[in-house]
Amino acid sequence: MPDMTTNQNVQIRSAFPKCVRIDSKPHLFCPGCGHPEVLKALGFAIDELGLQAKTAFGIDIGCSLLAWDYFNMDTVETHHGRTIPTMVGFKRANPDAVAIAYVGDGGAYAIGLSHLMNAAVRDEKIFVIVVNNAVYAMTGGQEAPTTLPGMKVSTAPSGADEHYMKAPEMIRNVNPTAFVARGITSVQPALKMLMKDALKFYLDGKGFVFVEVLSQCPLNWKTMDKPQETFDFLEKTLAKAYPVKRY
Amino acid sequence: MPEPFRIIVSGEGGQGVLSIAKIIATAAWTQGKKSTYMPYFTTEKQGGVSIGFAQVSDAAIPFPKFAQADMAVALSQRALLRLVPYLHEQTVVVTNSFLVKDTSVAGGRKVLAVDATTIAREQLKKPRTFNMVIMGAMLRSIPGMSPDGFGKALEKSFGSKYVRDPALKELNEKAFRLGYDLTA
Amino acid sequence: MAEKKFLMGNEALGRAARAAGAKAFYGYPITPSSEIMHFWAGEFTTEQGKKDGLVFLQAEDEIAAGFMLVGGVLAGLRSFTASAGPGHVLLQDAFSMAEAMRLPVVAYLMQRGGPSTSTVIYSQSEVNLACFGGNGNGFRVVYSPSTIQDLYDYGIKVFNTAWKHRFPTFLLGDGYLAKTMAEVELYTPAERGIAMVEPEAYLLEKNRKRPLAEIVPSPELEVREDGGVQYDCLRNCLNFEEETAAVNAEIMAAYAKAAPEILEWENYGPTDAKTLIVAHGIVAAAAQAAVDQSGGQARLFRPITLQPFPLEELRKAAKGATKIIVAESALNQLARFVKDALYGVTSAPLIEYGRPSMGILPEEIVGLITAK
Repeated sequence: MPDMTTNQNVQIRSAFPKCVRIDSKPHLFCPGCGHPEVLKALGFAIDELGLQAKTAFGIDIGCSLLAWDYFNMDTVETHHGRTIPTMVGFKRANPDAVAIAYVGDGGAYAIGLSHLMNAAVRDEKIFVIVVNNAVYAMTGGQEAPTTLPGMKVSTAPSGADEHYMKAPEMIRNVNPTAFVARGITSVQPALKMLMKDALKFYLDGKGFVFVEVLSQCPLNWKTMDKPQETFDFLEKTLAKAYPVKRY
Repeated sequence: MPEPFRIIVSGEGGQGVLSIAKIIATAAWTQGKKSTYMPYFTTEKQGGVSIGFAQVSDAAIPFPKFAQADMAVALSQRALLRLVPYLHEQTVVVTNSFLVKDTSVAGGRKVLAVDATTIAREQLKKPRTFNMVIMGAMLRSIPGMSPDGFGKALEKSFGSKYVRDPALKELNEKAFRLGYDLTA
Repeated sequence: MAEKKFLMGNEALGRAARAAGAKAFYGYPITPSSEIMHFWAGEFTTEQGKKDGLVFLQAEDEIAAGFMLVGGVLAGLRSFTASAGPGHVLLQDAFSMAEAMRLPVVAYLMQRGGPSTSTVIYSQSEVNLACFGGNGNGFRVVYSPSTIQDLYDYGIKVFNTAWKHRFPTFLLGDGYLAKTMAEVELYTPAERGIAMVEPEAYLLEKNRKRPLAEIVPSPELEVREDGGVQYDCLRNCLNFEEETAAVNAEIMAAYAKAAPEILEWENYGPTDAKTLIVAHGIVAAAAQAAVDQSGGQARLFRPITLQPFPLEELRKAAKGATKIIVAESALNQLARFVKDALYGVTSAPLIEYGRPSMGILPEEIVGLITAK
């Protein structure tokens, strides 16, 4: 029986990773947003692997930019869609760095798609995390390449059309050896494991690392006061179109 | 001697027009002169008219382009037409007479017509070396230049091709010498 | 050892970057600048290049090349790119970020015809773009070389200006200079007593000598400490107008402080000549020849830095001139600077000789000098 009074032999689970900058909390994201879930999973993985002081965290424009003061880590905000080439240039110049590009689905799959695909083709030694919430969130809920058929968004008021971008599948197609996976915010332990495995692959220098995370946007999904609907949409609709798995 | 001596070379893209101007400028520099070379290039890799500007001088050359040439070298009929605006009264016109049949646009100017293609084909069995024949033929009309240093300038220009095809080096030098001897 | 060589302008630039100790090149091919990239690719694959830790990457486009360049600078390497025309347009995306965050990116820009794809040959119509491209206020340094030797000299200098003053720094050449072969004297900076300013990383710098707070505008920087380690967080997206005002004010103050040290210009010809020619880049070389041919009638003012522009020096040069000619291979790009400088200072007539994307020969300028 562990001694509950002295904390010995008891691991008290902190709500936050050590590398998170606690004094910036509450975070800048909307209530219920999935970004902090992704960042926490990443933060725990960084803690466990001791990478806080080795990481260069590049963040894109869009909601991902709100992560700029989330961590105590060297961080740079770039331009919309340009975080991947920035971190590619950085990593080439500093091969010891853990170079992470943290991007939304608009930044990675629309304006920055050419950078993403070419970085994958060149097998750049960077870690790309794409948060996929099927919508342009910060700029007002416009249609993204990931918006699902029939979803009514501000630039597709009568519903988005039938095609949508499946990035992990595309990346696997051009790079057979990269780490390619899709996770989901609602299963935190699995997401943390995924981040850790991705970082291990990265540290082994095995090549391009790509993780897409399905994430919720209650504001633009218009489910702010209906958490059950938020998670139903995330886990039933989104995850059906975008399989959560390792490729 | 006009200072600097100005040479314009024109022909079809792919004929090695630019190499002629470039090699002359390079060789002039190795002979201790001041020289410049500037290509007037277009997006067409093959088939357009290209122009090369070369200048050779004993003094520093202020500007790489010029309006009037002391020597104008035309490697095709339409190339000659392109050169007309660059001619002054004393310009020496050099042509590959195999391809330039009508030199009437040269007016009364001195024309050095060299059937370089035929020479290259009959004597070297390599019609493509005609540009080296032309270059050799030009040389005596360029004040103060000698054949010295051409081997080196050719190597600089043809470096990678010489590695792939070692026979080309001897062939080019032979063609150059044939042209040079024509004007003896 | 200093030595003279007969080189193409682009190769002179490649060698200048190497002599300056540049480490990383990120780029995308475009005529007439591509040979700079070819040169670096060659250096990158040599034994010496590997030993020196050179970085070379051909990007998917110039937008990527520009941001890779930003990445190289953030990592603390002397990094550069080379481009022209439409490629130069795309680079402005990254240059704007570099301007905002005081990142010393370096670019060799060899102007080609414009607007649009135009000719691959030559122009001076990227002056506005180099000086003012992006959604900012033109806080960058732009040098305009006149000769192949200038390409080498300023090809080295740009790195020191960039890293000393921490502004994007460009060598604005052109296709004629890029493709001309001529004699160049090569040397190492040490031979000329030039000390190269050591670069420093913005992220993951282990031995920081110059705190980022001295460089990066304060609203864009947060420095934090955790467990004895200092963390630097940089942003360029701001929330309030007051923050953008502060960013611009801080950059402007730094620029104003650096400008007197950066400014360069040249006066050429008899000081009592009544006709003043203003020209930059290779057109200034033509103008210099025209001055020599015009028998004491004309002199030349050549801005070597277009940004910052030697405004006061031009005003001084304009004194006593009864005719001022601005010659450029563009329309109203250099001329706009000149009018800006001379407004209210002189009553001499200003003759604008703008030949967009066309070469200007010494004879043409002589014609302008002698015209009644």
